[in-house]
Amino acid sequence: MSVTGIILEPKRFAVHDGPGIRTTFFLKGCPLHCRWCHNPESISPEPELAFYAHKCIGCGECVHVCPQQAHMLDGGRHAFHRAACTVCGRCEAVCLGTALKRIGKRVCPEEVVAVAVEDRAFYEQSGGGVTLSGGEPLYQPAFCLEVLKQLKAAGLHTALDTCAFVPRAALEAALPHTDLFLVDFKHSDPEEHRKLTGQPNGLILENLRFLSGRNARMEIRIPLVPGCNDSDGNLERAGEILAPLSVERVRLLPYHDLARTKYNALGKADTMPRVAAPTAAQLDRAAALLRRHGLTVTTPAS
Amino acid sequence: MPYVTFEQDKAYLLGKFRHPVFDPSTGLDNETIMQQMLPLADTMEGLPHPVIKGRLFAYICRNLQIDVSPHDWFPGFGCWDRYRRPISPVISRWDREVNEQILRESIPVIRKHNEAGLFSMWKDFDHSVPDWEAILTLGFPGLLERARHYRARHERAETLTEAAKAYFDGIELSLQAVLEMLDRFIRYAREHADGNPRMLAEADCLEQLRTGAPHNCYEVLQMIYLHFMFCEHIDRMQVRSLGNLDRILFPYFERDLREHRYTEAQIREFFACFFMQFASINNYWGHPFFLGGTKADGSTEVNPLSYLILDVFDKLGVTSPKIQLKIARNTPHAFIDKALDMIRRGHSSLVFVSEESIRSAMMSHGLTEEQARTCDISGCYEFVPRAQGNTTGVGYLNLLKPFELIFNDGKDPKTGLTFSCGAEKLDEIQSFDAFFDAYLRWLGDVIETAIYCSSEFEKYLYVINPAQLYSATIRNSLETARDAFSNGCVYNNSSLLSAGFGTAVDALMAVKEFVFDRQELTLAEFRDILNRNWAGHEKLRLRILHAKNKYGNGIEAVDALALRLARFLGEKINLRPNARGGIYEASGHCARTFITLGERTGATPDGRFAGDEMSKNLSPTMGMDRNGVTALIRSVTQIDPTIFPAGLTLDVMMHPATVQGEEGLTAMRGLLFTYLLNNGIAMNINIFDANVLEDAQRHPERYEGLQVRVCGWNVRFNDLSRKEQDAYIERARNIAE
Repeated sequence: MSVTGIILEPKRFAVHDGPGIRTTFFLKGCPLHCRWCHNPESISPEPELAFYAHKCIGCGECVHVCPQQAHMLDGGRHAFHRAACTVCGRCEAVCLGTALKRIGKRVCPEEVVAVAVEDRAFYEQSGGGVTLSGGEPLYQPAFCLEVLKQLKAAGLHTALDTCAFVPRAALEAALPHTDLFLVDFKHSDPEEHRKLTGQPNGLILENLRFLSGRNARMEIRIPLVPGCNDSDGNLERAGEILAPLSVERVRLLPYHDLARTKYNALGKADTMPRVAAPTAAQLDRAAALLRRHGLTVTTPAS
Repeated sequence: MPYVTFEQDKAYLLGKFRHPVFDPSTGLDNETIMQQMLPLADTMEGLPHPVIKGRLFAYICRNLQIDVSPHDWFPGFGCWDRYRRPISPVISRWDREVNEQILRESIPVIRKHNEAGLFSMWKDFDHSVPDWEAILTLGFPGLLERARHYRARHERAETLTEAAKAYFDGIELSLQAVLEMLDRFIRYAREHADGNPRMLAEADCLEQLRTGAPHNCYEVLQMIYLHFMFCEHIDRMQVRSLGNLDRILFPYFERDLREHRYTEAQIREFFACFFMQFASINNYWGHPFFLGGTKADGSTEVNPLSYLILDVFDKLGVTSPKIQLKIARNTPHAFIDKALDMIRRGHSSLVFVSEESIRSAMMSHGLTEEQARTCDISGCYEFVPRAQGNTTGVGYLNLLKPFELIFNDGKDPKTGLTFSCGAEKLDEIQSFDAFFDAYLRWLGDVIETAIYCSSEFEKYLYVINPAQLYSATIRNSLETARDAFSNGCVYNNSSLLSAGFGTAVDALMAVKEFVFDRQELTLAEFRDILNRNWAGHEKLRLRILHAKNKYGNGIEAVDALALRLARFLGEKINLRPNARGGIYEASGHCARTFITLGERTGATPDGRFAGDEMSKNLSPTMGMDRNGVTALIRSVTQIDPTIFPAGLTLDVMMHPATVQGEEGLTAMRGLLFTYLLNNGIAMNINIFDANVLEDAQRHPERYEGLQVRVCGWNVRFNDLSRKEQDAYIERARNIAE
C-alpha cells in the first residue's frame, strides 16, 4: 500500500505561494508553534473538529447523530465537549449552519495529484504550479516526497513551503523534485526564535546554508510581526544571514489577526499577539533595511 | 487657448444631458415638438411610413432648439432626453396599429407569457451597429450621394418598386435634414462665438462635415457623436456601438501628430469630452465602444492610441461609455495588464471578449474566418459581422419557470394563468429522467412559443420603425432597397437569451438528490413546500443549499447535466429560420432579467425563495461556487461557444487581496487567458471586499466613485437599491482572500 498523508482543504487559485496561479496543499502537522500562526488548524498532525460557534443556528442535528454525545443543546445553546469527540465527521455532514468542520483528511499521493492536474490549464497560462505547504510538509516526509515525485512526473512546477526545522535528509530527498523552496525566516536570534516558535533556529540556518550550497532556488518568507521580529536589529541581522545565500527574493508577509476565530473554533489557546498589522510605512522600512544587503524584497503591494 | 480646459468644463459636460438649458430663440422645445408629431402625422395619412418618418425627422431637425457651448467640443440637441424622444408618439402608434390589426393572435400570447414570467419579450430596436467605415469615409453628404446612386440604379434596373421608392425617400429626407441641421449649428456657432476660438473651431469642424468626410481625430469623433445623436435621439434607433475606436482613429491620430495639427494633450481632451457626452446621457446599460482585435496579417490592432484611450477613460472614472476589449493571443500583455489594473482598482466598466471563441461561434453559423476577425462587438458583448449584420435580441427565456409549471401541472401559481404542453402530470413522474424530460418538454414548449411569437412580430419591425439613417450606412440595404430592420442586412439574425441557467441546474440536481436518490420527500410534498415558499421547512432548505452538487464547482455529474441543458437550448434554437431571412441563435447572457424574471418566479427546488434573483448569464447561483474561481471556469468552459453562438458570459468576483501586486496581475491575466482561450467568450470581473461594500452602504457619501459590474455594464454602488446592494454584499462575503 502506498504511503498516505493528512492534508487540509487545498487552496486553488493561490496567487502568493510561488509564481503564477497555483494550487496549494496544506500538510497537517508542524514542529513549530509560532505565536502568530495563521493556520492553527495545521499544527496538530491529527484530524480535528472545528466548531464555529457564530455560525451555529442551534438546529440540533449534530446532537442526534453524534455517537459520543459530544454535542449537546443546552437551552438552545450548543455545547461541544471536545474531549469526547472522535472526529468521525457525522455531525459535519448534517450541520445546517456549516458550523462544524472536520479538519484533516487522509489521502494518498494520487488523490493530491488528481486534484492538482485539474487546474493544469491555469498553471500553463500563468507559469504556475503546485505548492506543498503546511503545517510543515516535511513533517510527513515520505508522503511529501511521493507527492513531489508524482507532481514532477505529471510535468508540474513544484514549490515547497517549509519552516526548515526538519531533518536535513528530508530536505535532501525533496531537493531533486522541488523547483522552488519557500523558506520561512522568523527570527535571527536563537533564543528569540525559541520564545516565539518553541524551537531555536540553529537547524533552520544550517538547512538554509545547505539548500544554498546545493544552489536550490529559494524565496525567503518573513512574517513581519510588530513587536516580535520587526526590530531594526533583527532585520539587519537577517539581511546579513540571507545575503550570501542563493536567495532569489525575500517576501515580507504582514501579520494579520484574521485567524483568531480559528483558534476559538479549534478550542486552542489564542496565542496571537495583540498588535496591529504593520502599516505600509513599516513594511517599506523593513524592506529598505533588507534591500541594503542587496536582497530583492517584495511586499504585498509590490 | 481653446484647449486643455477640461477640468473647468467637466461640470458643464456632466450636466449637458441631465439639466440642459437652451436658448429659446433657437427653436421649439422638445415637448412642443413631441406634441406636434401625431397631428403632423395625421396630415400625411396614407403615405408610406418611411416618408412620414422622414418628414417628421426633417421637421424636428428644422425646429428643434440647439446649442453650441464654449465649454464643449460637441453641439447640443434640444431632444436630449432619451425617455422623451420627439418621434416616439408616432412609433408607438404604429406599434399599436401592427399589434391590433396584424398580430392579433400572437400579441396576446406574448402578453400572457410575459405576465406569468415564462419569458420576457419585446420588439428590439436596440442592438444595431451602423457601418462606421462607410460613415467616416463618406460623411453625411457622401452617404446621401451613395443612396441617390443606388436609387438611380434601381430605377435603371426597373426594380424601383413603390416600397423601394418610399425607402429611398425616407433616407433622402432624413439625410437632407441632417445637413440642414448642421447648417443651423454652424450659423449659431458663428453668430454666438464672440471670438471664442473653440466655438469657431467647432463651426469649422461642422462645416467640414457639412460638405464632406471627416479628416482628423476631432472631426471623426464629431461625426460619430452626430450620427449617434441623429440616429438615437431623432430617428429613435439605438446605435449600439460607437465602433472599434482605436483601429478606426489610429490613422487620423498619427496624421494629426505628424502634421502637428493637434498635440497629444489636445487629442486627449477631444476623447475626454467625447466620453463625457455618454457619461452625461448615462444610459444604464453603458454605451459601448471596443478596442483591440487582430489585423489581416495576424498582428494585433492594439496601437498607441489604444493605450491613450484607456488612459483617458481611466481618469474620468465614469460608468458610461463602457469598453469591450477584443482579446487574442497576440494582444500585448501590457495592454491587458493596464485594463486589469483598472479593474482591480474598481474601474470595472471593461469587459474582455475572446476573438478565438467568437471565431468558433461565428463559423458554426457559416460565417467566414475573415468575418469573424473583423466582427463588431455590440451591446454588452454580442458580436456581428461588421457592416453586414443586424442581430436583434427577441426574448429572454426563464429557465426556472418550467419547475413551477411541472409542480403545478401547467398553472402559474402567482398569476393563476394556465399553460399546457403535453408533459407528464406531476403524479405520473416516477423517476428523475422523467422529471428532466418534463422539464425539457416545458422549456421546449416555451422556446417554440417564443420563436412563434417573435417570428410574427419581427416581420413588421421595419413597418413600426423604419431605420432610415441606419439603413443608409449599410450597403446591402441600399443594394436591395430593403430596410435594415427588414431583411436589408446580409445577416438578419435573432437571438434568444436565457436567464437562470445555473440555478436551473442546481434545482434539477436538488430534485434528483432529495426526491429520487434519497427519497426524503415526494414531488407532491415538494410542490406544497415550494408553494408555501419554504415556510416551516427551513431545515430542508438549508440541507438543499448545503448539498454538494451545485453548478460552477467543476463537479462532473453536475457539469454533465449543465451541458445537456445547454445543448438542448442550442439544438432547439440555433439555425432555426427567423422572420427576417436570418436565423435564431442561442445566447448565454441575460441582461437584467435575472432580477426581473426572478421577481415573477416562485420558490424553486434549489433552495431559492420566491421572488429572489436567479443566476445570471452562464454563472452559478450566487454563493454556490464554493470550489473557487478555477473550478468555476472549468465548469463553464465545458460549454462550447458553438452552443451559444450569440455569446456567453461568465461573471467572476475576487477579493482585492488576491489580486494585489505584480503577482495579482499575472494571476488575473492567467485566469483571463485560460478562460478566453478555452471556450470562454466574455468575462465580467468584480473585485470586491465585503467590508468596503458594507461601509459604502452605511456611508454612501464616502464612496461616490464606487462601481459594480451588474451584467454587461456598470453602475455606481450608490445607485443600486438596498436589496441589490445587499445581494452584492452577500456575494462578496462568499469570496475568500
